[in-house]
Parts: sequence; structure tokens; C-alpha cells
Amino acid sequence: MSDSRRATAAASALLLAALLLIWWGDSRRPQPDALTPRLTGQQEYCTTCHTDLPEISPSHPVEIVGCAVCHGGERLALDADLAHRTLRGGGNPSDLSVVEQSCGGSECHSGGSAEGRDHIQRVMTSVQATYAGAITHIRYTFGAQPDQIAHQGIFPVVDAEVSTTTGVPALEAFDPSQDSSPSIQTFSQNCLSCHLSAQPPAGDSFARLTGCAACHTPNVDRFPEGKIHQLTTAIPYTQCNTCHNRGNYDLRSMSFVERTDVPMDRLHDYYQPIAQFTQCEWTLDCVDCHTRIESMGDGDIHSNQSEIEYVQCQTCHGTLTALPRTRIIASEDDLALKLAFLNPVMDLSVGDTILVTAQDEPLWNTRVLPDGTYELVGKATGQVFAFRPVMGTQCTQKPDEQASHYCHECHAVQR
Amino acid sequence: MSEFERRDFLKFTTRALLAASGLFGLGALGRFLNFQTQSPPQTVFDLGLASEYAVGTRRVLPEIPALLIHNEDGFSALSLVCTHLGCTVEENTSGFVCPCHGSLYDDAGNSLRGPAGKPLRALTVETTADGQLRLLLN
Amino acid sequence: MRPNFFHHLHPPTIPAQQSRWRYTLGAGGTAVFLLLVLVVTGALEMFYYTPTPDQAALSVQVISYHVPLGGLVRNLHFWAAQLLMVVTMVHLARVVLTGAYGPPRRFNYLLGLGLFVLAILLNFTGYILRWDQGIHWALVVGTNLLKTIPLIGDTLYEILIGGSQPGPATLIRFYAWHIFGLSLGAVILTGWHVFRVRRDGGIAVPPPLLRRDEARITRYELVRREVLAMILTSAALITLAGFAPAPIDAPIREIAATTSDASAPWFVLWVQQMLKWGDPFLWGVLVPLLVLLVLALIPYILPQPHEGELGRWFPRSNRLARWVLTGIGALVLALTVLALLSGD
Repeated sequence: MSDSRRATAAASALLLAALLLIWWGDSRRPQPDALTPRLTGQQEYCTTCHTDLPEISPSHPVEIVGCAVCHGGERLALDADLAHRTLRGGGNPSDLSVVEQSCGGSECHSGGSAEGRDHIQRVMTSVQATYAGAITHIRYTFGAQPDQIAHQGIFPVVDAEVSTTTGVPALEAFDPSQDSSPSIQTFSQNCLSCHLSAQPPAGDSFARLTGCAACHTPNVDRFPEGKIHQLTTAIPYTQCNTCHNRGNYDLRSMSFVERTDVPMDRLHDYYQPIAQFTQCEWTLDCVDCHTRIESMGDGDIHSNQSEIEYVQCQTCHGTLTALPRTRIIASEDDLALKLAFLNPVMDLSVGDTILVTAQDEPLWNTRVLPDGTYELVGKATGQVFAFRPVMGTQCTQKPDEQASHYCHECHAVQR
Repeated sequence: MSEFERRDFLKFTTRALLAASGLFGLGALGRFLNFQTQSPPQTVFDLGLASEYAVGTRRVLPEIPALLIHNEDGFSALSLVCTHLGCTVEENTSGFVCPCHGSLYDDAGNSLRGPAGKPLRALTVETTADGQLRLLLN
Repeated sequence: MRPNFFHHLHPPTIPAQQSRWRYTLGAGGTAVFLLLVLVVTGALEMFYYTPTPDQAALSVQVISYHVPLGGLVRNLHFWAAQLLMVVTMVHLARVVLTGAYGPPRRFNYLLGLGLFVLAILLNFTGYILRWDQGIHWALVVGTNLLKTIPLIGDTLYEILIGGSQPGPATLIRFYAWHIFGLSLGAVILTGWHVFRVRRDGGIAVPPPLLRRDEARITRYELVRREVLAMILTSAALITLAGFAPAPIDAPIREIAATTSDASAPWFVLWVQQMLKWGDPFLWGVLVPLLVLLVLALIPYILPQPHEGELGRWFPRSNRLARWVLTGIGALVLALTVLALLSGD
């Protein structure tokens, strides 16, 4: 009889012990950190663990944007496994496969072209994303298509509004198995690592992410395991060089030949040994001259990147007969001020006069000085450069031959 | 220790242990049920440009609910929540009346007739540097 | 003292044999206690659970991660449900293997089998209430099985789903079935089942004249043993719940875009395995129903155990029933193991 009494007493003690254990375990749980970003108004608990992440950029403050709107994931979960199970694009929500859900939306980066908010549409149709330039030329060269107009890209894409004469309405997906030429097969195996959806080849000099972050998250190789939380428009030339200037394609063997020189300084690193260029081209960074349209696309699908490259020496220096185009910043809404806010290397304000391109894109890091000369601040370096217009100088260039390669004849730098 | 004493001791121990477990259970129940899933109500309201409210006007803001008054002394606001049991009072010719239990207030919010004894609550109105009007439920 | 249900179940004394652990395994009583735990923890979950497609999985996350001790409550509910499946199976096996299903207990055996089916349905509907990616295929497959039934399949499907495909109406229906229809049925049947135990002469032991063991225990000793079983079960549940969280997954956001693994709850894995063989009506509906039918017929068509052999395991007189149950058990176990092995 007293067996069961003793057992009951012992079991009661066991029960209490189990309860105490649970209570103790529960009280040791870290206090969750709630964040309610103003954009969504929905609580997120990501910052419970991610306490020391730097703000990704001045234009995406975490109190406004939060985490989940871009990264997806389970905003309520306090268990790392579940919280990360639905992350968009793994750690990189800007990968082109998910960029529309992550970065899109009419209030974000898939707005109208008039306000310049159509970033995603422009990038998805750009040659960097479609790789249509290389694909078109290879297929043309090896007889898979009769013309040099783009028909296929890395992924199928449609452009509802073709606004340029060289724009193509749509691309199909490049499918090398449909092409009989062995060279095209080899091309598809060896040469598809430099578009925005591709993982880069191995090696620090190629290290970059995919999607928007391929350019806007520079220097990933300097962070352990690519753990970098940054988006910037201050993109140094080294980031462009993770795809460009790394070597050449050998069309006979259809392989990529990495450059063999070991560049020791900016002058030698910047361009490949065979290239010709002037001093400003290597002292500045690529993004100081190549505008948003040139580097992210103009919204049309093109067969070749050269179709949208239009900035030339004369854009900043003018010609013998004309000064470069300028614009006075009239209001706070001017695109130039917004761009200057993203990368505040220059204290631009209403009333300042800046240079603009032939397509009216603001060169927001330039300014016309009172004495008629110009200054430019390097977007990545912050370095100030003074320069003058060509008009009234000794230049003997003919006005109708103002393409950049004519300038190289006199002004090229010797290495 | 006799058989009976041991039995009583065991019985007492068992009951004490079970009672302690039960108390834990009750405490846990209290903690469990005392969790807020609703976000706290808004306490700051942006009313737009101050210049849109002319001097000498009174405007009912039903979503707060409050009455915004702009006179020579500047902006002020009254809560339209009856101080009796929280119904929203209605404006009548001379002041405010509560539809629930008939409390009367004059047009400055002072209590005229019960059951509410306290005047309508005054709310804080701020003008920001760029001319925006903000109302705070303090 | 006025007679009440408690005293009906706890007469002043009972034969000691009726409450011996190694005979009853305490399975039936533990099942009743687990049902109580499920009702209480389930009621607590209802304070936070939101049965709408866009909120359900999120509210489960709120319970699991944010409500103080909410994770514990949910884990208790989960583990009590899993234990209930185990305990009811053990209880069924005990009744068959000790030959305790004979007259006058034949009807109560059917009641018990009905409770077993209710437990499975409750477990399945509860699983679906998570409404996350982990349950998606179980929902699709489980309900599509109904469609394969000739003539009435489509109607049954629409009655259960509330539409031509799973959606908001499905969730609210499963919710209503889980917390009301099936639960109410389970509580009522449990009461009836327990009432019938005493009505049928208590737990099966030989009649007084054939009884070799004359020992009896008092009502107080019986209650003490019940309390002991409850405390031990509670401690086990709390420990399990504290250290083994119930499964959870990301919400179903787009019905089409689900990539999670498609494994069914563990107690229907054997059906899932048979479904790989082909005809879903045969393997997914008929065979399980046939198994249920065989179980239901055991007291009616197999030879009855001798009264004198009651109250102990494996009486010689019900060897056939033993082989039938062992056969079914071995088959189900083998299929489950097969499904587990091929799952990874």
C-alpha cells in the first residue's frame, strides 16, 4: 500500500522538477527585439539576432524599410532555421531571379520610367543581364542566326515599349542544345560566367555577388564569407573589373584566357595592356563618366552594349565651337540632388550649375565654377578634379570628328 | 516513526508538491494569456499643413476623435471621448452631449451635467518647423 | 452519498487484478488523461490561433515564439496528440492480446475503435491547421483520396473542403471539425466508453468463481494509482515539450510554389507507402477500411476467449485473434519502415 504512496510523492517531486526546469529554460530565452518598419507596419524580429549589421545604405534606413520587405524570410520566427527558410535569393535578395519581389514595387525600383524608378526593368533588359551581345555575336559567327540582331538571352525577356531604333521587342532563352555548332556548345560551357545572374569564376579578382549587388555591393572579397551588408553608388573601378578587363576570350578554343600581367598600380590595373586611353580615363572611376543609362540600360533590349554607350570626351569638354551642356538645379526634386544624397561626395544644392549629357542625364558630381572652368568629384574616391572646356584651346580636332578615339591620338597615356 | 506518521508525512509532501506545481501552472496561465497581439493604438496624428486650418475655425477630427480649435491664441484640441465611460460625444448647439448616458459639456469642454464629472481632456497640438500640424494623445 | 459518475467508475473496492500495471499497462486511463491535456492546451491555443489562410501559420509562429510559454503549450498539445496515438494503439493491442473484447464487452470494443478513428481524424485535422508548407501535400493528397471513392467521392470532397480546391473555406472547416465536431464526439464517446467499462463489469478479469487471485484494492488506492499515472505522464509530456519542439514551417504563400518535403504524419506513413503502388482508391481507401473492418470483426467472428483465462496476457483460447492483430501490426510497421527508409 505505502508503495504507491511513496511513488506518488516521488512522482510529484518529479513533476515539480520538470516544471521548474521548463520555467528556468523559458526565463533564459533572450528578450526578442521587435522592429516595426514604417513602410510595412508589421513587426519584425530579425534584429534579435542580427544586432551588429551596419545600415545597408542611407536610402534604406532600417526603421523605415525593415528587413523582410527586401530579404523575405519569416519575420516572426525566433528560430534561425525557420526564420531563414524563405529568404529571397539566399543572402542576396537582389539576385535577378527574385529581384522583382525584393527590390520591386511601384514605390521602389519598378516604378515609372519618367521618375527614373524603373531600375529593375532597365537592368533586366540590359546587356549585362541578358548577355545578348556575346550570345548574338557567337550565334551569328557560327551560323546559328543570319543577322547580328539579338534573338536569345540568358533568360526570356519582353520589352513592351521599344523606344530606340536599335531596341528589340523580346528575347527567347538561349538554349545551346538547339544549336548544332560545337563552338556554341563550348561557348555555353566556358563563357557564361560574366552576366548578372552567373556565379563568378573562382578567384579573388572575380569576386562579386549576383543581381544588383554585382555592382552595388563592392569589395565582397574583403569580407569573410561574403558577409557584407552594403549597397552603394560609390562603385570603384575594381568592382567593374570583376567582369571587365580580366582577360580575353579566345574564339578558336572558345575559352577564357585570364590576363597574365600582374598589375601593380591603378595605371596598369585599370585597362588591359592593349587598350588606349587618356589620363582622365584611368584617374577617374568608370562610374564617373558612364552614366546610369550606360551602366544599367536604357529600358530597351539591345543587341550590343555599344548601342547605348554615348558619353564621350565632348560630354564634359565640349567641342571647339560649343561648350558642354549644362543645367541649373532648379528644385529640391531634381534627380541630381537625389543621386548626390545617395553618395554625398559633393555638397550640391539648388542653384548650382552642373554638366549634363546629350540625353540630359545629370553629371551630378560635376559643377561649373564661376571662372568658367569645371570641377568633378570622384564618386568612389572623393578626389577633386579641375578641368576646362576645349573651346578656345590649341586643339586642332575637326568639329565633326569628335569621337573619343580621335582624342586618343594626341592625349593617350603611355605605359 | 510509526506507520501512520510516515503516511501522513507522505500525504502532506505529495499535496504540497502538487500544490506548488498547480501554482506554477496558474502562473504560467497568467503569463500565457497576458500577451498583446494587437499593436498599441496610434498616439501621434499628422494633421497636414497648419495653414489649411483658418483662424477662428473648429474642426471635428472623427478618426481620433478630437476637436481642433484654431483661435487668436493658436491651436488647441479637445478629446471627444466622454470622461464617464468612453463613448464619443457629439457636438450640439451649445457644446457636446454624450449619446450613451447624456453627459453635457459646454463648447470649451467643461462638464455641465453628470454623470461625467470631469471636463473633456485637452490634447497637445504641435507645429513642426516645416509648418506641419501634429496632435499628440498624451 | 449521492451516486455520481466518479463513484460509478470508482466502486469501494475492485479486484486488485483489474488495476495491475503489467496487465492493463495503464493505457486506457492515460489516454483519457491525454484527452484532458489536449482539451486544455487546445483551448489555450484558441486564444491566439487565427483560422484564416494568410494568418494561420503566422499565428502559429506567434504562439510558438512570442506568447510567453506559448511554445510550451503548443508542444504539449503536439506531444499529447502523438502520445495519444501511441497509447490508443497500445490499448487496442492490450485488449486484443489479452482477449478482453469478448461479450459483454463487444460493443465497448467498437466504441473504442471509433475513438481510435476519431483520434486519427483529430490528429490529421490538427496537423492541417498549421497551414504551412509542411502540411501542404498531406492536405492535397489526403483530401484527393476522397475523390477516388466511386459515386459519392466528389460530394464527400466538397463537403469536407468547402470548394473545388483547398482554400479559405477548407481551413475554417477543418478548424470547426477539429475544435468542435470531432472533439465533442471524442469527449462524448470517451465518457460512454469509460461508463461502459464499469457497466460491463470493470476491466476484464475471470468471474469470481474462477478467480484465483482474491486480493482487492480500495477506491483510494485506485485513485492514487490514477494520480500517479497522471503525474508521470505530465512530467514526461512537459519534458518532451520543453526539449523537442513541434514541427513548424513557413506559411503557404502561393499554393503552387511549395517545395518542402512531402512526408505524411507518421501514423499514416504506411498508407503513403501503399499509395506508391498505384490505384489510390484501392490502396488509399479500401485497404485501410478493410484493416479497420477486420479489427472491428475480431470480437464477432473469432472464437471467444475462455472466461477463466481473462486477466492475463496471451490466453491460449484467442490465439487466432492474436495472430490477426500481430499480422496487421507487422504489416503496418513494415510499410512504415519502408516509407521512412525511402523518404530520405
